[in-house]
Amino acid sequence: MTQAKSHRPNYIGIFVMLALLTLVELGVAFLTVFSKPVLILLLIGLAVWKALLVALYFMHLRFETNRVRILVIAPLPLAVIMVMAVITEYVW
Amino acid sequence: MATTAATFDQATQHAHVDDRSFLRRYIFSTDHKIIGIQFLLMSLLFLTLGGTLAMVMRWQLGFPGQAMPGGGVLPETMAPGGILLPEFYLALVTMHGTFMVFFAIMPLLVGVFANFLIPLKIGAPDMAFPRINMASFWIAVPAGILMLAGFFVEGGHAGAGWTSYAPLSAMPEMSGVSWGQQLWCLSLVILGLGSILGSMNYIATIINMRAPGMTWFRLPLSIWALFITSILVLLAIPILSGAAIMLLFDQTIGTHFFLPAEGGQPLLWQHLFWFFGHPEVYILILPAMGFVSDIIANGSRKPIFGYHSMVFAIIGIGFLGWIVWGHHMFQSGMNPTLGMTFMISTMFIAVPSAIKTFNWMGTMWRGNLQFHVPMLHAIAFVAMFVIGGLSGVFMAATPVDIYIHDTYFIVAHIHYVLFGGSLFALFGAITFWYPKMFGRMMSPFWGKVHFALTFVFYNLTFWPMHEIGLKGHMRRIYDPTQYEFLQPLQPLNRFITIAAFLLFAVQIIFALNFVLSWFFGAKAGRNPWNDTGLEWSTPSPAPHGNFERTPTVYHAPYEFSHPQVTEDYLPQDRPLEGRPASAPAGR
Amino acid sequence: MLPPAEAESGSGVYNAKLGMWVFLASEVMFFTALIGSYIILRFGNPEQWAQPGQVLNVPVTAVNTFLLICSSVTMVKAFAAAQHGDQRWLRIWLLATTFIGASFVGVQAYEYLQLAHHGFLPSGYREGHELAEAAAQGGAFKGGPALPASVALYGATFFTMTGFHGFHVTMGVICMSFVTWRAFRGAYSAADHRGVEVIGLYWHFVDLVWIILFTIVYLI
Repeated sequence: MTQAKSHRPNYIGIFVMLALLTLVELGVAFLTVFSKPVLILLLIGLAVWKALLVALYFMHLRFETNRVRILVIAPLPLAVIMVMAVITEYVW
Repeated sequence: MATTAATFDQATQHAHVDDRSFLRRYIFSTDHKIIGIQFLLMSLLFLTLGGTLAMVMRWQLGFPGQAMPGGGVLPETMAPGGILLPEFYLALVTMHGTFMVFFAIMPLLVGVFANFLIPLKIGAPDMAFPRINMASFWIAVPAGILMLAGFFVEGGHAGAGWTSYAPLSAMPEMSGVSWGQQLWCLSLVILGLGSILGSMNYIATIINMRAPGMTWFRLPLSIWALFITSILVLLAIPILSGAAIMLLFDQTIGTHFFLPAEGGQPLLWQHLFWFFGHPEVYILILPAMGFVSDIIANGSRKPIFGYHSMVFAIIGIGFLGWIVWGHHMFQSGMNPTLGMTFMISTMFIAVPSAIKTFNWMGTMWRGNLQFHVPMLHAIAFVAMFVIGGLSGVFMAATPVDIYIHDTYFIVAHIHYVLFGGSLFALFGAITFWYPKMFGRMMSPFWGKVHFALTFVFYNLTFWPMHEIGLKGHMRRIYDPTQYEFLQPLQPLNRFITIAAFLLFAVQIIFALNFVLSWFFGAKAGRNPWNDTGLEWSTPSPAPHGNFERTPTVYHAPYEFSHPQVTEDYLPQDRPLEGRPASAPAGR
Repeated sequence: MLPPAEAESGSGVYNAKLGMWVFLASEVMFFTALIGSYIILRFGNPEQWAQPGQVLNVPVTAVNTFLLICSSVTMVKAFAAAQHGDQRWLRIWLLATTFIGASFVGVQAYEYLQLAHHGFLPSGYREGHELAEAAAQGGAFKGGPALPASVALYGATFFTMTGFHGFHVTMGVICMSFVTWRAFRGAYSAADHRGVEVIGLYWHFVDLVWIILFTIVYLI
């Protein structure tokens, strides 16, 4: 177990990043005049960035074995497939 | 890495006498074998109930509008004067499917055998999380009670089919059913939690607790099948849970997820349900295929033909199963282009199943065939599953499905794979592992009688359904004779009904064999089937803690008729003298 | 007799941690059902959604989001303390996490009550209340464009997604309290603090889901 945590992340540093990104998100959402698609892309990108920080550093995925990472990633393609397929009910 | 993980989880437990109270040993047990048997008893009861419901349905279909013998016991709300009401018929249809899928077949395949077999066949003393395992069972029990309760509430039980399509299922004012449908949703959400916890247990156990030498490619196919099945359960059931919750909200707190009036989408229910539902049907067949592999190798006294391709076929079915769900929806009005993609992916999924079928046949080819009762059921499985699978290929073709969707052709398909497939495999598996569970053998004579009669009556019941389905007989209809074009089919309907009654009656042989053998069956030794699996190294019944000493695995599973061994089997934990322990993978 | 084979390495992580990751995979699918449905329904009926901030209270929720992120930090600090066998700071950080987590739920409950009061329910507008009246007159609520004529889907998806997230946070707070109690009884050491790591994983997951939810529910 100690092997996986031999690199200790800078937790406070990550926290500051998360707080900053949240502020940026609020700014993007309310203070600017992006077109809707660009806005959505930006906001989702920022959210994913924050989510990755939590997953990689707080949940220590950065230091886990590949096997554990594969386990974690496995449901994501399924989620994408389901949503994309059903959205084709409205487009295509 | 290995030693660090093992520091906490090393198998320090070994076989020992459990001297706790009766309540702790048999009721609130954390022993995977006891939990497996608890699931077995519960599921067999629900299987009987599901069958009974089918008998009542068949009465109505065979003799529409006539008073059912003994129907007088049913209340006025269900069958006044013994004549079934249409609403009650729909509830029967719904609950037959629901009980069979969720409370009989799934728990029999997974709850019983994943629990019972996994630790034994991988060389572990118990599951990774024994107390969570116990919780899984005791969560299933209230779920079952809630589902049963639906028969006794105002408005009757859910009557929208086991697939519970919206908007009918979401609108009490249309269906007349409120409490029943809500109980259906709630019961499945609760059961789902138990299933998810169980699958988490099975996955963690198989990954982390294999005995030394039990590499991935030395796992028996029953364990591979249960592993992939558990992944399907883990990832598919939560979708059903979410959907059922949304349906429950539509019925109770005024949401409109699936109700068109305020922009909701009935098709969303279908997509969510079948996104779960298709992996679900692979959950209902993969473990059965796994048991059949173990049994056919044993009955042929030969290794499984193409073990690696069998593993990849199981994985392939697991993967592909996620992208074919739309083939249940060809007639729903969904996007036709999307439908086309589903037709293509569905055609593909026949391939891994075919690979397995050829491999079973290859295993039996030139084998020293032993037609013991499990082998008879396993061979029947292969034949019946092929029939069911072939009818599936017809349905995969969208233009054909437009004609046969929601007819008895589909019902025939379902029952060929679920009864001809899963249930025959289960009869075989129960017979095969009975000695390890109870320390006695089931009667081979009565097992053969049961098999023969079941096989005959089963085919007489379900084969004609292909016929009437092609002639247009729809599913879930109360009275076929009200349609002129169906009236000529009524003799066949009656034939099916009588065959079904005989099929059901014959099951008493299995029930008696099961119960009486428990007390009066021939005592079983450690390895009555001369099998190679690790479980046969333990006493029968297997003791608490399983193995006297953690076994070491020296070879692949299914080492039957090995040229260097006098007996025609070589257990996985018995070394072949002179060969190194860490032999190349697979051999 | 041949020597025993090497122990199988499995996943390389202890059972409880593997089990929690596996369980979290199922949770991803559960939220996929809810969030996926939201995305699909919104794609099909975009007119039923108000502009960000019109109906929902973004400032309060932004603070709540910040709180939950703080609780993730206190959680990971607790884990670091456990790794060093620092019992005092382990207890302090765990208490902090429990408390902040409970506050999050409290703020959310307050938000729900406010929304119901103003007239926003899972079924959409609430007859006879502010929002419903404003929408009926084609007016706005907090400035900005006119409210949608119907918010049935908006209400349904909002309350279901955030409600089940809140339910998961509540379960987390209950488990966190149990772990905190165990920490006070000295159950965790530098050599064995599995319980802390495992509850930590669950807690971070719940935070992660909220990060996604906050963005797509409140800001888009």
